[in-house]
Amino acid sequence: MRLLLATFLLVGGCAVLNQKTVKEERPLGPAEIRSAQAAAGAIAVGKSTKADVRKALGEAVVVDFNTGYEVWIYRERPSKELVLLFDPSGTLTKTRIR
Amino acid sequence: MPRTLMICAFAAQIVVPASALAQGKPKDDPVAVTSMRNPVDKSYRRMVEGMELFEKRHQLAPRASLRFKLLPRHSDTDMRDIQLEIVGDSFAAPVALAPDNTFALERRAAALKENASVRPNRKAKTMTWRAEIRTPGLPPDTRRLGDLRLECEVGMQAGLISNYRPLLFGLLDPFLREGPEYCRRKDPRYLFFAERPIFGVTLVAGDRREALPVERLYGGASRDPTWKEDLAYCDCEVLVDRAYFLPLGDASWPDDTRIEFEYMDGAS
Repeated sequence: MRLLLATFLLVGGCAVLNQKTVKEERPLGPAEIRSAQAAAGAIAVGKSTKADVRKALGEAVVVDFNTGYEVWIYRERPSKELVLLFDPSGTLTKTRIR
Repeated sequence: MPRTLMICAFAAQIVVPASALAQGKPKDDPVAVTSMRNPVDKSYRRMVEGMELFEKRHQLAPRASLRFKLLPRHSDTDMRDIQLEIVGDSFAAPVALAPDNTFALERRAAALKENASVRPNRKAKTMTWRAEIRTPGLPPDTRRLGDLRLECEVGMQAGLISNYRPLLFGLLDPFLREGPEYCRRKDPRYLFFAERPIFGVTLVAGDRREALPVERLYGGASRDPTWKEDLAYCDCEVLVDRAYFLPLGDASWPDDTRIEFEYMDGAS
């Protein structure tokens, strides 16, 4: 009986905790995304332009080089990153998730 | 005119390239070198100390030899037909430069005695220097971690890095004074340069593969919104799209760890 009660309290507590976590989830900061995997699925190498990506994912951290290439970085908490490469024509040419 | 500019202007008037003074004379003959030393010169003595460290720490790259490499700092730096010399008070001796702008130094007692410098015929701040240590036979587009560990140590010992400004990209460490020990830190910010602009760098040891986070590429530019303002103070100025840091002091990565590059212009 005690074991049953303890299990009930534990499960109930977890459910409350989980609800609280969902409620208190911080809003996304600049260049943050909820899911790097989902974001990568929303864009297309060889096709998406910078405007397409900005529309789909929002603003990124941008490192632009004088060669015309640009690297865009989006971060998923806690430490995942989606890195995109645009060629000088502005087309997405590579992506990687780390 | 600000005092610094005045000093520079004064120096520019009296500096005469040693190569010009040596023209028409057989190399190695004593010449009267009266010019001020170009501040971009590297100390021959310190480069020899780097060579000695290479011998001492050769176990990091047992099959590799040591060369030094000249790299551009500006997009308009002409890297063709560079003339390199060891210049002392009483002599100027040519140094053979390979087509890839690498070279090896010989030990010369006179150069040590006269505290000579190693001097290319290029203006100050147009080039930078690195050690070049490559184990032969590696697959294309790869490097070996032990080679790069030793490159860092030799580079620090030889004083090849210069002109960093404190706080640049977080490169705050007073590491120029620290010497080769700096390279044994877990995360030293010693900049390496790949052959071409990089999109990704991955460490591979056996079954373990780890891509470097983007903050370790491009001199850490992704974490510093003002990186372009500081670029002129970095010897990565024109090579920033090829620049990366490695976890040199992380002993969990063996010396035989392979560093794989994915280039911006290559296949994914």
